[in-house]
Amino acid sequence: MLPRTIDFARRFARNRAAVVGLLLVILVIGIALAAPWIYPRNPLRIVGRPEIWPFVNSRFPLGTDSLGRDIAAMIAYGARTTLLIGLCASITATLIGITVGAAAAYFGGWIDEMLMRFTELFQTIPNLIFVLTIVAILGQKLEYVTIAVGVVTWTPIARLTRAEFLSLRDREFVQACRAMGMSNLRIMFGEILPNALPPVIVLSSLVIAGAVLFESAVSFLGLGDPNVSSWGRLIGDGRTLIRTSWYICAVPGLAIMLTVLALNLVGDGLNDALNPKLRDR
Amino acid sequence: MSRFSRRDFLMTTAGAALASRLSGPAFAATEAPKRGGTLLATWGGFEPQSLFVPPGGGSSPYFTSTKVIERLVRLTVDLKFEPVLAVDIKPAEDFRSYLIKLREGVTWHDGQPFTADDVVFNVLEYWKPISAGVSLDALDSAEAVDPLTVLLKFKAPVPEFFLKSVLAGKSGLVIPKHIYAGSNIITNPINNTPIGTGPFKVKEWVRGSHVEYLRNEKYWNPSLPYLDRLVIRWWQDPASRSAAFEANQLDIGVFNPVPMPDVPRLTSGGKFIAETKGYSNSAWITTIEFNQRRDIFKKREVRQALMQAIDRQFISDTIFFGRAHPSIGAIPSSNAIFFTKDVQDYPFDPKKAAKMLDGAGYPVKSGSRFGLNLVSAGWFEENVKIGQYLKQAFEDIDITVDLAVPDRATSLKRIYSDYDYDVAVSNNSGSIELIPSTTQYYTTDGIVKGAAFRNATGYSNPKLDEIVAKMAVETDEPKRIALGKDFDRLVALEAPLLPMVDLEPVTIARSDVRNHSTTADFMGESWAELWLDR
Amino acid sequence: MRRIVLRRLAQIIPLVLAVIVLNFVLIHLAPGSLFDVMTSEQQITDPAMLDQLRHTYGVDQPTGVQLAKYIWSVMRLDLGFSYRQNAPVLDVIMDQLPATLILMLAAIAVALVIGMTAGVLASVRVNTIWDNLISLAAVFFFAAPSFWLGIMMVVLFSVKLGWFPVGGMRTIGVNNGVIGDALDVMHHLVLPATALGLFYAATYARVMRASMLEVFRLDFVRTARAKGLSRARVVLVHVMRNALLPIVTLLGLQLGTILGGSVVIESVFSWPGIGSLLFDSVMSRNFPMVLGVLVLGSLLVAVANAAVDLAYLRLDPRIRAR
Repeated sequence: MLPRTIDFARRFARNRAAVVGLLLVILVIGIALAAPWIYPRNPLRIVGRPEIWPFVNSRFPLGTDSLGRDIAAMIAYGARTTLLIGLCASITATLIGITVGAAAAYFGGWIDEMLMRFTELFQTIPNLIFVLTIVAILGQKLEYVTIAVGVVTWTPIARLTRAEFLSLRDREFVQACRAMGMSNLRIMFGEILPNALPPVIVLSSLVIAGAVLFESAVSFLGLGDPNVSSWGRLIGDGRTLIRTSWYICAVPGLAIMLTVLALNLVGDGLNDALNPKLRDR
Repeated sequence: MSRFSRRDFLMTTAGAALASRLSGPAFAATEAPKRGGTLLATWGGFEPQSLFVPPGGGSSPYFTSTKVIERLVRLTVDLKFEPVLAVDIKPAEDFRSYLIKLREGVTWHDGQPFTADDVVFNVLEYWKPISAGVSLDALDSAEAVDPLTVLLKFKAPVPEFFLKSVLAGKSGLVIPKHIYAGSNIITNPINNTPIGTGPFKVKEWVRGSHVEYLRNEKYWNPSLPYLDRLVIRWWQDPASRSAAFEANQLDIGVFNPVPMPDVPRLTSGGKFIAETKGYSNSAWITTIEFNQRRDIFKKREVRQALMQAIDRQFISDTIFFGRAHPSIGAIPSSNAIFFTKDVQDYPFDPKKAAKMLDGAGYPVKSGSRFGLNLVSAGWFEENVKIGQYLKQAFEDIDITVDLAVPDRATSLKRIYSDYDYDVAVSNNSGSIELIPSTTQYYTTDGIVKGAAFRNATGYSNPKLDEIVAKMAVETDEPKRIALGKDFDRLVALEAPLLPMVDLEPVTIARSDVRNHSTTADFMGESWAELWLDR
Repeated sequence: MRRIVLRRLAQIIPLVLAVIVLNFVLIHLAPGSLFDVMTSEQQITDPAMLDQLRHTYGVDQPTGVQLAKYIWSVMRLDLGFSYRQNAPVLDVIMDQLPATLILMLAAIAVALVIGMTAGVLASVRVNTIWDNLISLAAVFFFAAPSFWLGIMMVVLFSVKLGWFPVGGMRTIGVNNGVIGDALDVMHHLVLPATALGLFYAATYARVMRASMLEVFRLDFVRTARAKGLSRARVVLVHVMRNALLPIVTLLGLQLGTILGGSVVIESVFSWPGIGSLLFDSVMSRNFPMVLGVLVLGSLLVAVANAAVDLAYLRLDPRIRAR
């Protein structure tokens, strides 16, 4: 196990961009975890004069927004929101996606037909509108945003899992397992899944990035949870001030971009490290 | 403001006002209006669902329909009624009937003549059942005496100012009988291309973009309108409107068209002016409402304490960028007739608030006095920030707050249908006349589950109901004004729901747009007298 | 082949039905019905009037009846009547659809042109500074939220430089004839289409680069080169054509996403399209409108997906058709 891990780490490290991405992700996680120590008070508190530009007042390194709230504090707490939603939504999406995709490919026939129609159904509905509808129905709470994002992002995972399963389903080792009389579940999850998993994991890591973007769009449109700090909401709030104080939009946007970028780079690194095709190159 | 002076005024100014319409009140003596040109206009909100929404439909269809459809009278900025389609409205001695004289030679856009039959149709089929609601409860009958005279009869005395307010208000639009008779007024497809007697005719409505009006060549006042063409266009965000002004794509915008911080920048060069007149008959306020169905808020001291915990100057200065001021009592200060300063005031004093809560039996226990659900109606951008500020303000006096800022639909449902809130932040726009637009937030008969913008707090006080009932039939103006002030004093003391701030909406216009903002509800004016100095 | 096509088309019907039922149920679960929004917007407070309106809007009927009625009318190609707009749903959608189609097509064009050019360039000059720059730009645009990109572009190109209008689709009050109008729309289109398209351009650049590199290694490319064909010809005719497949797949899958993305972009740029209509309709529980847009949208995506599947079937016989 250990040599494999080291081997994996070495392959991952070969992609320097991925290492930068990983460091960035660690940085964001660090900020998110440390937020309550750096800023012990509620980040949504009004603490100073409104619209102080960044790097002007050392108390507010990233300036204040239109209400006089500390942008740095909101960014730090926003990292918690962003990562939490990204991670939970990705887990939700991965679980749904793998289940649907695996079952569809393995059983084939009408089950495949049904499940793929089901997948198509979710792909057909414009995803962002679907998220907005769900949030509008369930309410503006963090967990509902998470569920909504998970529910619209699982379809690519299902399709990929199905494709991987399809290509593996007729391989010799699976036929051998069948001949040995293994149960369907065991073949699916014990034998095929581990072989199909690497690309799925890569995709899941990219789904985190996608979920972060979704959350920011929902908050930008004013439908996020008002009780927590969010990068997207900060952009939405700052929008009316783009002529006078465009930094209010720019700063959280940069935070979103760097986080998504870092997650994507890590995903690429994982792809390099896990994708057997590139392994021998 | 005696009854006689106003009536005299209306009679004597019937002709004078007509003259002033020709030259316009604001620049009457100095400049002769120029004819022609296209005016590009907008307002600080979205496209209407339909150009004309018979039951009301909010500010946006009101804005688009009033350029086409006129009323009998209008209210000027200095609160005088001026004739439009009616040249005179005269009460009988007992105020139980009114005689309305109509203007001669008015035609609808399709060439049909405008007559007393049209007005009777409006009173009986449109205003009473659809638009005016309880305002015309006392109406008994309406009949055409001759083709240009209408007689209205009432079951009880109706104050003159009240009736004229209804006729000059949002519910008094006059629609053509020959188009609407026999159809469902609300769903008639003509509402998308309305027909009226007004100075502008609808040419084309491009959904999602703009509506274009052309000059009505057969307008009853042959010298009006001055403009050849009027275009109302919609943008979804204020910053774009600001840019459109600078790009010469916009001449006038009503009701806060641009972000507040942009106002000084736009006006500093002299190319644009900011005008705050023209909003007094549609005075917007931001209210805080305490749900009386919760035991905590049944205590008056708790409501009063919470009022004192709010720094309303901060809301005015920071959230509204100075385009608002702390409210005094329930009646906006822009209401020159009924406003009074002589009411219970709630200056910002969190220490006193905390003391009052201690006294009311809600001391701090393990960090919190009690928890409350705060619902801030998400239809205005500012309400989001107000919600966040109130959460902080209440937490400062050790109240735990769970904030929700639901979208428009959910806000309406939670506040006005389900009463699912402890404290709510909402808005309303009141007319100068208090009944019913202001009073229905407080009276017992204002409690109607599911009917929005009414008494949602469940507050009920027989003493208050009595004052309002007296006011409804009091025809002596000074006595009526005194009753209005009694109403305000009682409401301010009880504080079941109070305005936190009075908004000061602003109109932005290019300086070469002349003769605007001359009526008490300029947005809903026909804009016939506007002209371009180009 | 024809049988498969017909069957694929037949599958679209239950899909559309499912979209209707799913959304109908969701919208009815939502607190605050269209009726509440309508009456409050119209400030109707008279109880008798409220009852009359309930009847007019049909909300006094049980939900099941409302659903059945709706499905029946959709079958007759009638998407219902929107009381909010006071017009048939289809008419309102058709009024706003062109603007969105223009925006979507322009965004797709931006994405394809920029994405494929960048991808081909990167693959031809693999591991050079060009490749690295393109990759860097791709990760940048892949990570930036489109609405933020839009706002930043407005700050730079409209507010600071004044090159492009801040929003809208046309300059109002100017009549320049057909060509002038088209140029005017294109001028307004540049920023929104770019903001929406850059994300997909980044995707396509990456995918294009990867699949180009993959195809380069295949035997037939070597053969083509050995035949003495020019490098440009090999790249453009042989490699690119084969590398296009994944792009086509992606495009088919992303149509729904692009429609969703246009909601946000239309809100940033005040673009008068279907996105803003849909957003407004969701917010006001105007379910005939939401359903109408979703039914049309799902038809579009379903047809696109079926086409992609069929294309695959022809190109890759290893995937069995069942």
